[in-house]
Amino acid sequence: MAQADVAPVKYAGRSYLIEMAVAALVYAGAAWARHWLIAQAPSHEWAIAASLVPALPVWAMFLVVWRYYRRIDEFEKQRFLETLAISFGIGSCLVCTYAFLADAGVPEIAITWAWPTLAVSWAITGAIMHLARR
Amino acid sequence: MKNRLPALRADRGMTQADLADRLNVSRQTVNAIETGRYDPSLPLAFAIAKLFKLPIEEIFEP
Repeated sequence: MAQADVAPVKYAGRSYLIEMAVAALVYAGAAWARHWLIAQAPSHEWAIAASLVPALPVWAMFLVVWRYYRRIDEFEKQRFLETLAISFGIGSCLVCTYAFLADAGVPEIAITWAWPTLAVSWAITGAIMHLARR
Repeated sequence: MKNRLPALRADRGMTQADLADRLNVSRQTVNAIETGRYDPSLPLAFAIAKLFKLPIEEIFEP
């Protein structure tokens, strides 16, 4: 199906940037406030619920990326998936490599860093592949 | 895959952005098709053919 009956592809990038910026700001606020929220929790159950607050914008980011993927055209989808596959491989190898280094006494890093590592790996891979394709 | 897209587009006084708008794809996608870096899917090829009112084989050749 040619995409004549769906939202214009040319606005996909702008919508993505706006939605991702909002989700990232909410995430930054939630991550910053999470220790305070947990400390204020009246019970263990509420503390668990408070600890999950930063996860909500992370899921929102996933939805933003999914919406972007649904909006772009077939050629951009191909490049998107290629970049995602390569960056996921690199990010996974980085996480795995650091896990082995931790066996040798390198300071362990909280698992919450796994997601930013994958995100940064994706951003860097995307930038490199964008330059390579020009 | 070779194609006559740049010539057909030029004949009609269209820019890559114009064609991209008509097909609802990005300008980069039109550029990639024109330069042979990307072969469009059948639905997109049919949409291009319909737009130019030509059979697919008169636009694309293997």
